Amino acid sequence: MAKVKKNRVGFVIDMTPLVDITFLLLTFFMFTAKFKSDAENEQKFIIERPKVTADTSKLPEIDIATIKIAFTDSTRVDTSYYFSMSNQESFASLKNTTDGLTKEQKESALIQSDLLTLEKIVREVYRIDFATGALDTKFAIDADKDLPFDWVNNAMEVLRKNNYTTFNYVTDKKQ
Amino acid sequence: MAGGGSLGGGGKTKRGKSSNRKTKKRVGFFIDMTPLVDITFLLLTFFMFTTTMATPQIMKMAVPPERDVEVQVQESKLFTILVDEFERVFWYPRNDELVEIEVNEIKKLAEEQNLRPEVKNELITSLKVSPDASYGLIVRILDELSIAEGNITKELIKDGLVRERKFSLTKLSELDIQKLAEEAPAMDKNEEEVEKEN
Repeated sequence: MAKVKKNRVGFVIDMTPLVDITFLLLTFFMFTAKFKSDAENEQKFIIERPKVTADTSKLPEIDIATIKIAFTDSTRVDTSYYFSMSNQESFASLKNTTDGLTKEQKESALIQSDLLTLEKIVREVYRIDFATGALDTKFAIDADKDLPFDWVNNAMEVLRKNNYTTFNYVTDKKQ
Repeated sequence: MAGGGSLGGGGKTKRGKSSNRKTKKRVGFFIDMTPLVDITFLLLTFFMFTTTMATPQIMKMAVPPERDVEVQVQESKLFTILVDEFERVFWYPRNDELVEIEVNEIKKLAEEQNLRPEVKNELITSLKVSPDASYGLIVRILDELSIAEGNITKELIKDGLVRERKFSLTKLSELDIQKLAEEAPAMDKNEEEVEKEN
């Protein structure tokens, strides 16, 4: 049997720069990745925020309590209030001390509630805030742009009654 | 790397009958980097998909604390903007008739009104909204007013005044609803279509 001589044409591709760039990209993304909080994980609805001309104010990331007002599903008919806090300790103690919360509400990171329960919750937040002395919890109202203003107005009244006179509206940038 | 691995790191190679060829004794460390690169790409794609880039933008709001006392306001220093449930925007100078405007005209209007020589820094802007007007529209109006503030502050600085913004956001009062009904009755949908055709 004649030996078949394999004519091997060699393609030499040096992969070093490829791997270098890959590691660079990887470290970049490793440092800039933020993970979803529990409340964000539980959010099953989408909020279309109103568009506003660009401002440099950013949403604070610590010590923030968010009141979301949104349509509960994609039919955009039913509306509900949702509440969450970034400070997990305060949130846990809040869930214990507020009366009128159902078992479901106590276990969730994003509490779905009506206006009355929201009032109680915000009052508790103020009480806890006052007790710890710092009074640094900031509120943000994150509402869908197609909601009747009444919903937002009621939320603002709740905040006003509990001495939170400065708060933020969460918005999108107008392109 | 794969090419390099098989070519560069090999053990002793001795080809053919090459007694005159110098046989280099090369001790080869052969590390196959393929799995390393695989895992790296996996991690990279994971982080690419889980990263969130920008934090949401906010608009700062301030509301006055609860007061039981009603503040009396001079009508000449009042600038009222009304929004009804059909998303129409009106304003009225002092106590005159309603004038309907578009949202994008609000900035210019606010600047004009605030920089009137007789009111200067004392104009109180009052935004009164119907509970059924959409939140998005209200935010747009607030946005226009804030942009106007920038220009107003600049103009006032030229006169040596420090801008004190007086603003209020409330629901339509009974009088306002009456005024709207009298001066700007909402057209029936059929009537509106007929008018459009004409």
